[in-house]
Amino acid sequence: MSQILSPQEDRVLNKKVDRKGRERIYKILERNQFTIPHVDVERAKYFTESMRTTEGELLTLRWAKALKNVAEKITVWITPDQLLAGRVGKLGRYGILYPEIDGDFYREVLGSLAHRDKSPFQVDPEDLKVVMEDIAPYWEGKTYHEHLNKTLPMELRNVTYCDERGLKSKFVVSETSSYRSALQWVPDYKKVLERGFIDIQNEAKERLAALDLTNSTDLWDKKPFYDAMIIVCDAIMIWARRHADLARDMAAKENDPKRKAELLQIAETCERVPSYPARTFREAVQCQWFVQMFSRIEQKASAIISNGRMDQYLYPYYKKDIEEGRITREEARELLECMWVDMAQFIDLYINPTGVEFQEGYAHWEAVTIGGQTPEGEDATNDLSYLFLESKREFPLNYPDLAARIHSRTPERFLYEVALTVKDGSGFPKLINDEEVVFLNSIKGCPVNEALDYAVSGCTETRMPNRDTYTSGCVYVNFATALEMTLYNGRMLHYGDELVGLETGDPCKFKSFEEFYEAYKKQHINLLQKAFQQQVVVDRLRPQHFAAPLSSVLHNLCMENALDLHTEKIPGGVDYSYFEFLGYGTIVDSLAAIKKLVFEEKKLSMKEVVDACRADFQGYEPVREMLRQAPSYGNDDPYVDSIARDVDRICQLEAIKSSKERGIHVDVRYVPITSHVPFGKVVSATPNGRHAWTALSDGSSASHGADVNGPTAVLLSNYHSKNYDLINRASRLLNIKLSPKSVAGDAGTKKVMDLIRTWCDLKLWHLQFNIVNRDTLIKAQKEPDNYRNLLVRIAGYSAYFCDISRELQNDIIDRTEHENV
Amino acid sequence: MNDEAATGIIFNIQKFSVHDGEGIRTLVFLKGCPLRCAWCSNPESQSPKPEHAFNPSRCLTAQVCGRCLKACEHGALSLVNDMIMFDARRCTQCFACANACPGQAQKVYGETKSVREILDLVERDQTFYSRSGGGMTLSGGEALFQHEFTLALLRAAKRRHIDTAMETSAYAPYPYLHEACENLNKLIMDIKCMDSAKHKAFTGVDNDLILENFQKLLQDFPDLPILVRTPVVPGFNDTEEDIRAIRRFVPLKANIEYELLPYHRMGQPKYGYLCRPYALEGKKLDPKTMQKLREIAFGLPIAIPGLDAQKA
Repeated sequence: MSQILSPQEDRVLNKKVDRKGRERIYKILERNQFTIPHVDVERAKYFTESMRTTEGELLTLRWAKALKNVAEKITVWITPDQLLAGRVGKLGRYGILYPEIDGDFYREVLGSLAHRDKSPFQVDPEDLKVVMEDIAPYWEGKTYHEHLNKTLPMELRNVTYCDERGLKSKFVVSETSSYRSALQWVPDYKKVLERGFIDIQNEAKERLAALDLTNSTDLWDKKPFYDAMIIVCDAIMIWARRHADLARDMAAKENDPKRKAELLQIAETCERVPSYPARTFREAVQCQWFVQMFSRIEQKASAIISNGRMDQYLYPYYKKDIEEGRITREEARELLECMWVDMAQFIDLYINPTGVEFQEGYAHWEAVTIGGQTPEGEDATNDLSYLFLESKREFPLNYPDLAARIHSRTPERFLYEVALTVKDGSGFPKLINDEEVVFLNSIKGCPVNEALDYAVSGCTETRMPNRDTYTSGCVYVNFATALEMTLYNGRMLHYGDELVGLETGDPCKFKSFEEFYEAYKKQHINLLQKAFQQQVVVDRLRPQHFAAPLSSVLHNLCMENALDLHTEKIPGGVDYSYFEFLGYGTIVDSLAAIKKLVFEEKKLSMKEVVDACRADFQGYEPVREMLRQAPSYGNDDPYVDSIARDVDRICQLEAIKSSKERGIHVDVRYVPITSHVPFGKVVSATPNGRHAWTALSDGSSASHGADVNGPTAVLLSNYHSKNYDLINRASRLLNIKLSPKSVAGDAGTKKVMDLIRTWCDLKLWHLQFNIVNRDTLIKAQKEPDNYRNLLVRIAGYSAYFCDISRELQNDIIDRTEHENV
Repeated sequence: MNDEAATGIIFNIQKFSVHDGEGIRTLVFLKGCPLRCAWCSNPESQSPKPEHAFNPSRCLTAQVCGRCLKACEHGALSLVNDMIMFDARRCTQCFACANACPGQAQKVYGETKSVREILDLVERDQTFYSRSGGGMTLSGGEALFQHEFTLALLRAAKRRHIDTAMETSAYAPYPYLHEACENLNKLIMDIKCMDSAKHKAFTGVDNDLILENFQKLLQDFPDLPILVRTPVVPGFNDTEEDIRAIRRFVPLKANIEYELLPYHRMGQPKYGYLCRPYALEGKKLDPKTMQKLREIAFGLPIAIPGLDAQKA
């Protein structure tokens, strides 16, 4: 039977590439699209060089000086054929090092980066020497990771790490703070475009001048802070200027008159921005690019700095240039795509093996936000919003990640083009719902105008660039282990006799489901409390290790209070902290199966269930079959969705307690990225019929293949399992996989639009689609060379299917494909 | 009379359906059909009663499970070469095997539901209906085979402000059809073939009643949206002459749509589960023929997205 293909499948299978009008872009892209990225050590080298000489000074000041040292000495590059300047590593795909986080691992890990299965990197032998002899020795004993590992008390280490050095995660209550120095972040790009760094620096100078240096706080805390702000402004301006000089040098040597002119134009632009306000679209794009690249030098924000509301802050420049005939729509698009192809060469490098497990396939979340509302609550869609979607459809690269904000009055045309882009099949854009996000962010304390102006940041998070102040990497809690520990009296088969949780008794002696559920709740709450305790340690330690002068100079509250963004508490800020719930569908389905089959219908005894799970269903296939027939989450079945809601409620009620204790907002989230695969590897068979060591359910999606009633039921289960009366909740990641056939033609586009509208009505936080034939994925596993360009949606980002591990590939194949007949 | 309490037998409720009526819809499949179309893709719909079926591909095998073998007291299930075999002639439809099956290998098509139960379920998707202009579509089987139940469903749905459509062969006493049309928003009916003898050979009934009903409906409900469909089946009605004849019979009016549905064999495995022969074994519809017939039906070549996938 012939199949309907998505446009992406058609391109990949039939090797169609339309290079027309994009010759330059394809030339840059194809030079290095699938090369193994290399590690560039210069950032680490010059950062370390400066840090050696400034010990004892205020950390923010040390950081600013270190960034200035990097800015002055790092090699500057202009990618061949590029129209934009500013990369922070050698040509080709590259990643950079942040030894302040986990430099203590380098000696044992760095040499083997090239050989690891997941997201490998190559390291030049000369560079390796620099790392081993110069960089790593300085950081040993000083890194954040070591400090955390030493500080965590035994009872917390026991659920966090498996080994002495804290290299191996236990995958029960996992910290993520030691593979990044901050959560995802969005700098206030608009501020730089409108003011330029000279003006921003002048503000710091004025604030410095206004200090009363006879006051010890002003003298010892605020003065060095503003000094740091002044230095970091210099740093980025020096770095930009060096690109102007480079461009002039290159132009002088260039024989091709066309390229020569381009290089001279680059030089002019780099002489102007980011020091002065941008005047044109070209200057604005270049300025933004400098800011985001320098942010990447500054720190390792979780999986790359986000791009913010690009269609909003770039629009005035675009509109003016178009109106005044300075640029055509095609030229504007080319500039943006020039940014995408250089962005695609910067790869977020995870040294920490746990980090790699969490974020497979060279994960990246440099979310570009489009659509949504203005700070006044009007619809914000403009011609640039459409240009971004168009670029994504015609040039479907996995960079940048694209996020569309949807609200109740989103124009029909925008929704249509979003649906059309979704149907392309490469997973873009992801959708974020204003009706949920603006409400939650404002009710938790953010002023409404700023809440309306949020940018999507990272995977599914949001940021208000001048109001958010919480930056600690979150904790991942594998609640599927709580379920397993309920079956085995606090133990897990993977960890043998070790008591990982609480001894809640032999489940075979429980008389009722309530008794079983109470035991589960105890295990659940125990893990949650450990998670909160762990997070407090993280919050305390991070400001001792990390500073972010560039992010701070762009943040109103940091400037007003003379406090670094990494400070634990900044007056006027909102602190939205969160923890990730792992294994939602797995747990809920397991609880429902036990409730129904053991305690209500009495078709199985608890002993049969435990024995079957212990044996991974070997010899208990009929038991597994029965368990799989029990009601499952994702089918709009109140029987099981009510259990789901209660499990969410346990989390929120505990989060409320923790919020009060800590003076911040602690929220439950369901965003596993790719970690539901490694977290599943420590969990033995579960009573929903899931085999041992296989992936857990992802995010707030149903267990694999359990959702058999179509996408409307998936959305409704998600809706009915939320506790709308509580606000200690944030993002829920939701994947829906549709067959290309089910959305074919105009009627299919309309259907996608209807689904999105209803999703918006239901106030669900996030939604993303994979529109691909199962066959295509299976074929791509067998013949990867023919499917190198095939993109799939993972979790808030799209990756090349052939770049991810077999296990994650299977995970995606096993997601239920919804199709109407 | 309490419509909400009326009960009938259905064999499936399918959400997120989009090809049968406007918007996002929920399809309710009713059991029982007076026709026996050779190409029927829902053979489990034909009998008005609940019916046993065996799907060996979902069976854990007798060696691992074998619970159904023990449960069957009538010798309808037996072990041949280590495989479970089902003998439909001995089956008394007691469903002991289905109750014993831990999974979905031994199953029963058809269960009794009340109007209230069905509409409560249908209403769960109402947010989707209001956004998409969708609602409930009754299908079958022949939706009017259980006419009392079906009419109760339509009346009750109307009271609940649910948009309704009904798929029918129109092979039913006219008064039932008439009352249904008074209560629904869109009618979807088949005109399969104008040649009565051929019609009888392939569906088991002649087409007189169907054509007569259609004429009456046009008169009594001049504004009712009607979608007329012809399933194009190889060897039955896939000639230009057949389609031209139907096209001449269906008037060109704003409220009347016409659609050709290409033959597909997606229902064939179910014949195996029910131990029934599949009459059109090996038949294929030539995509070129389909294209040609579309040109005849619609005057110009058009591709119907979503349907081309089914051209085998």
